[in-house]
Amino acid sequence: MSVQLRTPSLTLLVTLGAWLLAIIWVSPLLYAVWTAFHPPAYAARFELFAPLTLDNFARVWNAAPFARYFLNTFMLVTLILVCQFVVCTMAAYAFVCFPFRGSNVLFMIVLLQLMIMPEVLLVENYRTLSKLGLLDTITGMALPYLASAFGIFLFRQTFKSVPKELEEAARLEGAGPIQVLLRVFVPIAKPTYVAYGLVTVSYHWNNFLWPLVVSNSVQTRPITVGLQVFATVEQGIDWSLVTAATMLSVAPLLIAFLIFQRQFVQSFVRAGIR
Amino acid sequence: MQHFRMTGFRAAVASLALAGLTAVAEAKTQVTFYYPVQVGGPLVQVIDGYVAKFKAANPEIDVVPVYSGNYNDTTTKALTAAKSGKPPTTAVLLATDIFTLIDEDVVQPLDDFAGTPEDKAWIAGFMPAYLKSAQVDGKLWAVPFQRSTAVLYWNKKAFAEAGLDPNKPPTTWDEMVAYGKAVLKKDASGKVTRWGVGIPGNVGSAQWLFGALAAQNGARLMNDAGTETYLTDPKVVEALKFWVDLGKVHGVHPPGIQEWGTTPADFLEGRIAMIWTTTGNLTNIAKNATFDFGLAPYPGKVAPASVLGGGNFYIFSGAPKEEKEAAFKLIKFLTSDEIQADWAIQTGYVAPRDGAWNQPNLKEYVAKLPAAEVARKQIAASVPEFSTHENARTTKALNDGLAAALTGAKTPEKAMADAQAEIERILKPYKK
Repeated sequence: MSVQLRTPSLTLLVTLGAWLLAIIWVSPLLYAVWTAFHPPAYAARFELFAPLTLDNFARVWNAAPFARYFLNTFMLVTLILVCQFVVCTMAAYAFVCFPFRGSNVLFMIVLLQLMIMPEVLLVENYRTLSKLGLLDTITGMALPYLASAFGIFLFRQTFKSVPKELEEAARLEGAGPIQVLLRVFVPIAKPTYVAYGLVTVSYHWNNFLWPLVVSNSVQTRPITVGLQVFATVEQGIDWSLVTAATMLSVAPLLIAFLIFQRQFVQSFVRAGIR
Repeated sequence: MQHFRMTGFRAAVASLALAGLTAVAEAKTQVTFYYPVQVGGPLVQVIDGYVAKFKAANPEIDVVPVYSGNYNDTTTKALTAAKSGKPPTTAVLLATDIFTLIDEDVVQPLDDFAGTPEDKAWIAGFMPAYLKSAQVDGKLWAVPFQRSTAVLYWNKKAFAEAGLDPNKPPTTWDEMVAYGKAVLKKDASGKVTRWGVGIPGNVGSAQWLFGALAAQNGARLMNDAGTETYLTDPKVVEALKFWVDLGKVHGVHPPGIQEWGTTPADFLEGRIAMIWTTTGNLTNIAKNATFDFGLAPYPGKVAPASVLGGGNFYIFSGAPKEEKEAAFKLIKFLTSDEIQADWAIQTGYVAPRDGAWNQPNLKEYVAKLPAAEVARKQIAASVPEFSTHENARTTKALNDGLAAALTGAKTPEKAMADAQAEIERILKPYKK
């Protein structure tokens, strides 16, 4: 961030490069916006003054119970986020402040889990859920993700950077372990929580394979799985519908990001996640 | 102790999930039925309607239809469930998945359920070409449900503009090339604005339509047992060479790989005058075409031929016996002449039973849209879709070869030789 760019020509080059990458990155989104708001005839044609329409959105909204899908996704993501915050905070706090014999080995084992792709566990997780009678429930869909090795690792690193003096001062004031956690560690780690929360929310908002396998009904199906209705490949792709549906499903995240942009960017810079 | 703690945990989790649990009626036999939706339209409601009819006629059976995405998603979902010991009772999966499902040991032959002469008559009512893709080792592993076939759509307006007879589609490869050259249109700068013919060659459709090309040249891609492929057969290579030359030598096909998903749009906007795609597109094209179009059987080199596609009903062996018997009843109902006739009208799929075509509603539909019957006439001259053991891997090898040839990275000979070598390696364990 703080690299000094000496020559103006280098600055120009970097700026140009950044713009180029940004344009490439954003172009699918621009295409989606264009196609979603225009009649199907303009899906593959660019005309500045083509008629605008909201018809695609109306068709999409009526083609599937989207309101319910949104609610399902929202419940799923909230459940996962809240549980992950609680579980990962507690675990990280224990690893940092209450070392015990073998705690390092245990931490290594937690880290090992980062190397296992969730897809590998598909069949086993499904079997466990069916034994618990939780197939086709939002709880079941969230269950494998309620703890996160990445979250534990991240919070542990953040908590480790908290100065010992602060913790000791709090203890001298008579704070118990839970109070120290809530009054000292969590406030200092706030940027990490925001950054991690964003990563988790966007991951689970977009997650597809596991929800697909576990959900059987409209009452549990999240929006990503519901979107599949529009990928009717046998008949060719109706881009206007697909893009309108995509806009709908990413809109909440996109709007939230635009509103909280500053906080997010700062959190990422401070938390060091990229 | 361990056991006690486990139950405690279970109880805790179960109470968490109160909202998600629904009471299941004990007395009824429950049939879970996974199905994909591959064509547009409100098909989920159509299926729900059929199921409601079935339940009304069979009050002792409860059917839970589960819409599960496209074919790939449905297969993943069904296999995961089957492997973890809780399979769906029945599912509509690709006809080409037959070897995979048998090798994974998750499906049961329908012969085990078809005991009565009435059942046998029902099976005999399917068109032999479709039934063939469900038979392995003399057993019937599935029954045809949503079946399609590949056909040629042509733009009559473009034909008339080019001075061709608008009512005469090509019947041979040479005619297709000649007509393609006639309808070719370029703008002032020499850029082609209307191509002659488009054959989708992206992953997923390449192996399907190539099956048709090979069959038109009198060759086959694989044997019935799914243990051997014949990609280095000179006739197969010649078929691929023809496909490549459509673009490279004759200049009537868009260069490189034509995308399946955009092909109907290309046709509807007049960018391609003849396209190869599925009968499943008829409803879409008939609704959106602003010009007169026709539907024709495929042309041929040795003889006209096409390829079959679509999905069959499978019964999963891991389900309880009474559920499987109930599922058999459901399948019989959903593949009856009446339902198949209605399904064909709603979706554009080809009814795989001659009896269905004699239903009054389908007859009336064909009278209004004669193109719908073209597919039926072509079925006798159609071959099953490419399917072998380890189907996902062999299909990938074939698709990679086709892509390499179409993009010009390899010659057709080299591409097919490489694909054949790769497939032989994959299929080695299945050679007896």
